[in-house]
Amino acid sequence: MFKIRKLLALVTGKALIALSRALGGQGTNLPGRLASFIYPPLLSELSRNITGACFMVTGTNGKTTTCNLAAAIIREQGFSIVHNQAGANMLAGITTAFIQNSDLLGQRTHDYALLETDEANVAPLLQIIKPRYILITNFFRDQLDRYGELDITVKLISSAVKGTGIELILNADDPLQSNWPSLTGLKCLYYGFDHTAYDNLDSADSRECRYCMLCGHELEYSYYHYAQLGRFQCPHCGHHNQQLDYVGSELSLEDGIAFKIGDLHLESRLQGFYNAYNILAAATLALESGFGKDIIKRAIASHQPAAGRMENFIIGGKQVFLILVKNPTGFDQSLAMLTGDIHTKNIFMALNDNAADGRDISWIWDTQVELLARSEEKITGLICSGQRSGDMALRFKYAGLDTSKIVIEPYLRKAIERTLGLEGQVTYILCTYTALFACRKILLRLRDR
Amino acid sequence: MAKFVIAHMYPDLMNLYGDRGNLICLQKRLEWLGQECEIRKCFLGDQVDLGKTDMFFMGGGSDREQELVFQDLRTRSEELWQAVQDGLPGLCICGAYQLLGEFYKAADGTIMPGLAFFGLHTVAEPGRLIGNILIEAEIDGSPSSIVGFENHGGRTYFDDPELKPLGKVLRGFGNNGKDKTEGLLYRNLVGSYLHGPLLPKNPVLADFFIHAMAERKRISIDVRLDDGIETIAHQQVEKMLA
Repeated sequence: MFKIRKLLALVTGKALIALSRALGGQGTNLPGRLASFIYPPLLSELSRNITGACFMVTGTNGKTTTCNLAAAIIREQGFSIVHNQAGANMLAGITTAFIQNSDLLGQRTHDYALLETDEANVAPLLQIIKPRYILITNFFRDQLDRYGELDITVKLISSAVKGTGIELILNADDPLQSNWPSLTGLKCLYYGFDHTAYDNLDSADSRECRYCMLCGHELEYSYYHYAQLGRFQCPHCGHHNQQLDYVGSELSLEDGIAFKIGDLHLESRLQGFYNAYNILAAATLALESGFGKDIIKRAIASHQPAAGRMENFIIGGKQVFLILVKNPTGFDQSLAMLTGDIHTKNIFMALNDNAADGRDISWIWDTQVELLARSEEKITGLICSGQRSGDMALRFKYAGLDTSKIVIEPYLRKAIERTLGLEGQVTYILCTYTALFACRKILLRLRDR
Repeated sequence: MAKFVIAHMYPDLMNLYGDRGNLICLQKRLEWLGQECEIRKCFLGDQVDLGKTDMFFMGGGSDREQELVFQDLRTRSEELWQAVQDGLPGLCICGAYQLLGEFYKAADGTIMPGLAFFGLHTVAEPGRLIGNILIEAEIDGSPSSIVGFENHGGRTYFDDPELKPLGKVLRGFGNNGKDKTEGLLYRNLVGSYLHGPLLPKNPVLADFFIHAMAERKRISIDVRLDDGIETIAHQQVEKMLA
């Protein structure tokens, strides 16, 4: 039967996407929201056009990169795919992705759907779509103010999946996921790294869960990969990491990333331990879904970093890196990478406190900004921008950095120009989510000038 | 130069929302004032010599962690209460503040007893009180603007009419979202719902603790620090709430 409301919803959605693009926006949420308002079953009906499987990816960090890598693998195999854009991971953004890939009658089919899903949107999305797998990256502190505490986030997702029969792909190194087989009653597959050259025995202060999820006693770690990820055991009840189904071994983080999963050797141009997890997660999902090893290897090797994930620009003959930061763990990983760079550097950080950034900016105090003070002679300036530029400057000041190097300039364009004017060899532009696209636009304009 | 010791109680359990920034702030300010400051971490079961401690700090935790802390804390509650009455400076944020009262009533009706230092209690009510907050407090005799970020499901009510709040809520929710009070001030002890963290953006409150600690050591610290960046950060929040 021809449904006029559905047609209207699709026409409106597509028109809004086109309009928003023409105006230079991302066109990610509004089209989906309005189209669903016009025709509420839209997402449910469009999702039935997926002939292969739907995959849902959630967790705190690494969702976007993991999805991008998995999408690259699926495309490498020649399949068509519906995949929501970076960060547009609420119901509205997911709906927009389906509209964009649909025809006006809502009948075009695709092989796969890859849905990056915000933690709080897992439950409502499961009411509409039943994925083949749900993959979880990790649980770190992120935008706590939206949900209360991390415990609540974990509970929200584990109770939403309970009884659905969906298979889970989980991170075995994260103690917050280790009790999920009993917690959810579902089949759980685990990926993780064995002992690597980058592990340490002590870890930073803001670890999320040092206590056993089952009995509340303090966990003992044989080693930490980073944050609370590592090999642990509860001395009281014996609870420990789940058996690994997919093991990342022989990890190298020199000049990119390389490691093995069994006889599959993977190499990538991405950087940092956190990206090694993203690659391992995406490869696990692909292997479990039956994709060939050569396809996986090729897709991962040719994958380029996405917007704000260490995107690289050359402006005025100098290297500029754009990095999205949104929580302490991500920020610390970026700082570790930045201090590892031997060049002199100009540092810019835009801190916003809109809903998508997290209204509460307290998390900057859970980071190891003190790391920067160790190689302060390499830092030409710390330019603080965005709505909470004062708070960022304050954090740098109390990390012991020279206040004569700290500048507060709330306006992004002015602040970026000022940063690029410093004499450092390399420039790092760090920013929270809602400043990302504005910063990127400014950088592109400066590059093309 | 004197050495100040600040006890960080349960840093692994009670440290939500960057609360350790309060300690970084006190330590750095003392150092800039030419003093030495040691942050001593106290874990579950550790012995704490309050006689050799100049101040204590405790942050917020989740319900599960708060229960572990309460069990440990009550074994030393008498000693702690005596020290507080003697003027030991202390800062208790969010969950730690709630622990100072008689009880906490969880959303499912469970009653968790507190240290009962003060005639106040906390009830978890539907909806979290979240957002930037501005209060007016009287610190060392002069009215001061205090800003922060609150995020709590518990509503704290004073049962003892003699209790003094830390300040009056101008924007935001405070203790319970109803009576315009925020936090608690008793001698040199401050209980508050304010994260942010509280002290870096409110140097007047950081200095209140520094002066209280110095006074107990009978040393005078009268140098003033350059609070230019602190003031900008404070004013950005004030302006947002205006």
